[in-house]
Amino acid sequence: MREYTFAAIASVVLVVLLDRALRTRLTGRVEFWVFMAVMFGFKLLFNGYLTWRPIVIYGERFYLGMRVWTIPLEDFLFGFSMITLCIVLWEVARSRLFRSSHHQAGAREAESRAFD
Amino acid sequence: MRAEYFVVLGLILLFPLILSFDRKLSLYRHGRALVLAVTGMCIPFWVWDGVAALRGHWWFNDQFTVGVGWMGLPVEEWLFFPIVGFVSIFTWESTRYLWGRRRRQ
Repeated sequence: MREYTFAAIASVVLVVLLDRALRTRLTGRVEFWVFMAVMFGFKLLFNGYLTWRPIVIYGERFYLGMRVWTIPLEDFLFGFSMITLCIVLWEVARSRLFRSSHHQAGAREAESRAFD
Repeated sequence: MRAEYFVVLGLILLFPLILSFDRKLSLYRHGRALVLAVTGMCIPFWVWDGVAALRGHWWFNDQFTVGVGWMGLPVEEWLFFPIVGFVSIFTWESTRYLWGRRRRQ
């Protein structure tokens, strides 16, 4: 398998496993997929511009060569892993490590649990 | 224009940064959690980006970067990850707020 293709798939597997291991379970929540759809909308715009210009150029040997508009397919997996890792860590930090920093945090947590 | 990648970064950050101060979100109150989450994401992705650039998976057009860099990556690319991390957290919290409000109606 091509190197970027392999790395991109591996990153998604690792991040999903981390989401399970830390019990954040983002991938099982509807609002997470709504959020990801919004992020991918903006990604099409900005990643699209970077690859169309092109500001970033890809080595043909390392990815499948399939693009959505001008964006390599692997970039969507890269973006998914990057965004998901950040939100997994954010959820852990906000709800378990630094809980008291916001008076509404506890209430919002309970509220989101009630809808799960 | 050599500042073009910088302009793109600015456009990604501009509205989320302003809106993050909205009283319903007040993201600045979660400084430590923000730093931990963003840093925790940046470290592995900086490494990936650096190794990938070294191996030739991708490279950057010096027509559109200011020409300052470190470890083979332009400064814009270093800044890309913390900016996208912050914007992701902003968008996630906004989605949670709006989704929760929709569900209560």
